[in-house]
Amino acid sequence: MNTEERMRGEKPELIFSDLQSGRKFRTLEYPVDEGLIEDFMETVGDRHPYYWDKERSKSGPFGTPIAPPGLAAIYSRLSYLQDHTMPSGGVLVKQEFEFKGPIRIGDTLSVKAQAVESYVDEKDRKRVNFLIEAENQDKEPISSTRLYAIWPK
Amino acid sequence: MIKGATVGDALPSIEKVIDQERIMGWARISGDLNRLHVDPEYAEKTRFKGTIAHGPMSLAFLNELMMEYFGGEWIMGGKLMDVRFVAPIRPGDRIKIGGVVKRLFEEGGEQFVECNLFIEKGEGEKAVVGRSIGRIGDTRS
Repeated sequence: MNTEERMRGEKPELIFSDLQSGRKFRTLEYPVDEGLIEDFMETVGDRHPYYWDKERSKSGPFGTPIAPPGLAAIYSRLSYLQDHTMPSGGVLVKQEFEFKGPIRIGDTLSVKAQAVESYVDEKDRKRVNFLIEAENQDKEPISSTRLYAIWPK
Repeated sequence: MIKGATVGDALPSIEKVIDQERIMGWARISGDLNRLHVDPEYAEKTRFKGTIAHGPMSLAFLNELMMEYFGGEWIMGGKLMDVRFVAPIRPGDRIKIGGVVKRLFEEGGEQFVECNLFIEKGEGEKAVVGRSIGRIGDTRS
């Protein structure tokens, strides 16, 4: 049994009937530490000095190293899949992100996801639109994400 | 970098090679262990005929481009819009992340740049398309 199979055994799939319009998911608490940022930089191949150069950061706009904004792609997805797995075959039709403030190393984000709209369209496709908002531990806004998906089942 | 930007300017592009190791790295940091991404034997039997990169990794690439272009101002109000995955990115693909300045405008006394963004693979096949709006401010790198 591989890791995914174990995960599948532990969590049910998130299916369309679970995604009524207005459904809110429990808040994801997402800690951001140096290890995560290092792994992210390594994987993406993005070593912008804002993310690691403490000396340069002191005189920069944020005063301290910050997390890459691309991290939003990870915590946004996790926010509605904490207790479920994603059934295969879905399509992310469109995605939109607005960045509202820096994530500093050591922050813990609170990420709230809501299925704002779900419906079956004229071609019998199951449509789900999510709004995902993240703030830091001081309630400062970090990002807002909108995902438009066709759900597989 | 964006001082003096004009409509039609090409953003300085970024190139990368995607391999299975990078895909496995994204699986680890994102927790997305879907077999289509991490299990070549399984993926070979799907309609994709092999593993493909996670879509959200492309968002990290677009953000890398935006941070290079707008600097820290990107984090203070930058918007990625209409991002669509139009073709899968596979291990072995060489990709180019780029964009073109579409519009310059002022709003509330501040200046903004709107760009068309893309990720191309191979000989220019679009894999991801989208748009962005960022503010020209004081926090450029």
